[in-house]
Amino acid sequence: MSEPHRVDPWRFAGRFIARVLGAGIPDAPSVADVPFTPVAKPLAASRVALVSTAGLSRKGEPPFDMDFERKNPTRGDPSFRRLPADTTTGDVEANHLHIDTGYVERDLDVALPLDRLHALARTGEIGSVAPTHYSIMGYQGNDTSALVGQSAPAIAEAMRREEVDLALLAPV
Amino acid sequence: MGLVSRVIEAAGIPTVTLNMIWVYHHLVGIPRVAAIEHPFGRPFGDVGDAATQTAVLRAALAVFETAREPGHVEHLPFRWHEAPEDVRWHPKEPSPIIALLNRRRRKSQEPNPEGNE
Repeated sequence: MSEPHRVDPWRFAGRFIARVLGAGIPDAPSVADVPFTPVAKPLAASRVALVSTAGLSRKGEPPFDMDFERKNPTRGDPSFRRLPADTTTGDVEANHLHIDTGYVERDLDVALPLDRLHALARTGEIGSVAPTHYSIMGYQGNDTSALVGQSAPAIAEAMRREEVDLALLAPV
Repeated sequence: MGLVSRVIEAAGIPTVTLNMIWVYHHLVGIPRVAAIEHPFGRPFGDVGDAATQTAVLRAALAVFETAREPGHVEHLPFRWHEAPEDVRWHPKEPSPIIALLNRRRRKSQEPNPEGNE
């Protein structure tokens, strides 16, 4: 047996980014009250929704506001977007000033794997694909209040209305 | 994103967060973490690599069935197919905050014109 793989969080970050981001992160868990909702159903009976931080919006809808961040480098657009389950690569644009968005604009499934999720629903590995999925823009700088106080509760409420059983979130 | 996971989880919907910088969990307390060693921008796999995207999606969903307590961190076994020096993930222009920090860094490294400390 080989040693289990331990993920190096900084492998691709580069020294500067690792130093800037790593400076504020404790060596061990520091938060006592972590919310936890037990899973109620097997995966094969569960409705699954995805959330990406890639700043994805449907073409023709207002995109995430990059000019706001350009004028205020320590802040980021805290809004969110809804993405219907039939959204495909050609339907979206990505706005995020901290990554190369070219990859997700060429293949949505690198960050929001709706095609892959539909495939798991067809084979019965999951119960169903939620009608709606979500994107935020991951960079919030030093003010997360609107994301946590407004966008996240609105996403949670929308998921509850659509009877989502499990939410898979993927930062980029 | 860990903060969003906490809100959704607290509203009664179980979450798994697929995370490259999984140690962020130490700072905010994320309900269930699937740690992945992939470059920024492509957490599920590379463009057109449906096999890896599916495998990562499956592995992340499996954490719903294995995690038994809050703060569970599962280290997924995936290895990226390129060495770090060959991976391109940065935006074309430095982000506004990085540009700001770079300007500050350069300023602090400029020789002191007075020649003293």
